[in-house]
Amino acid sequence: MANRAQIPTNNSALIAMIADEDTITGFLLAGVGNVDLRRKTNYLIVDGKTTVKQIEDAFKEFTAREDIAIVLVSQYVANMIRFLVDSYNKPIPAILEIPSKDHPYDPAHDSVLSRVKYLFSSESVASERR
Amino acid sequence: MEDSKHQDVEIEEAQVESSCSEAQLLPKDETVLELLDSINNYLLLMDSLSSKLRDGWFELAGARQSMGSSRVSSALFDLKYHHAATLMEVDHGDADSNLKQPHFTLHKWLSTDNQEFSPEGGKFEEDELLQRKSSSPHSTEEHQEKRSENGPEVLSSPSSPYTPNSNIKKERAKSLSMFGTLVSPKLRDAQLSFETVLETLQEVANVRSSMLAAYEQVLKEIEISKI
Repeated sequence: MANRAQIPTNNSALIAMIADEDTITGFLLAGVGNVDLRRKTNYLIVDGKTTVKQIEDAFKEFTAREDIAIVLVSQYVANMIRFLVDSYNKPIPAILEIPSKDHPYDPAHDSVLSRVKYLFSSESVASERR
Repeated sequence: MEDSKHQDVEIEEAQVESSCSEAQLLPKDETVLELLDSINNYLLLMDSLSSKLRDGWFELAGARQSMGSSRVSSALFDLKYHHAATLMEVDHGDADSNLKQPHFTLHKWLSTDNQEFSPEGGKFEEDELLQRKSSSPHSTEEHQEKRSENGPEVLSSPSSPYTPNSNIKKERAKSLSMFGTLVSPKLRDAQLSFETVLETLQEVANVRSSMLAAYEQVLKEIEISKI
């Protein structure tokens, strides 16, 4: 392993997706789909039968992989694993919460915006003044 | 009279001093403005993203209606080994700077036959080794025959004989072929819409990265002012 010659890379990586069927269909049409030799894909289709455990496992797997640059998560799916998403703080892969057909984007639930808006909340200002 | 004027001047000076000391406790305006600008840009981009996604879903629904729902479904997704044609390049930023701000660049429709861009982490390297191990001598001979038929420029040379446009058309067609040979024009429109969505996502990722960097900077300045 240590003596294996490294293929020169230029830091290109995959885009992973955890979303509904239509969103994933669209992104696969745009050429984002990847299947490795172990038949592992870079996406998880979330439907009525998908359990929270499966979503959590997919999120943990995608965020641990070094060959993934961005993880797209439908916001309604991110809400199911909100604790996991909010506690994630690595720069790469970047977690982007996107709207879905039936659930429009809500800035109040966005993980990054909630982190940042604390700075401007009355609680944080009051604690600074004490 | 002179004493009262002198007292007024002293009071004013004291007020100016206290406001200056309060300003010193706060983070620099420039940093806060940078953070607010990036938040604003992020929200505008998310709005644009929502609109483009809606267009894509609408066109997909139209394709499903004209082709039939069984012809545009997840059951037809290609689960055979293949590389992604669209990748995201990550520049991890200046190693010397304290603020690590990764920069994302989208690369669309790279040739999957002769991939110049390899993902990080050596994962593709691992797949290639597995492929070599699993290939039998029989299949190796077939592979060599194919190489002699197609010529070395297709498989071994880094430069493709195809022009960039024909390569893009070929990769787009390959992507569409998942759903059959003859596809509705609406499915092609959906493909173009989602390509635009990817471009917007690249911008969102970059603005998110600068927003987090500005946020870290503001927090740092607040910590320094507390000391």
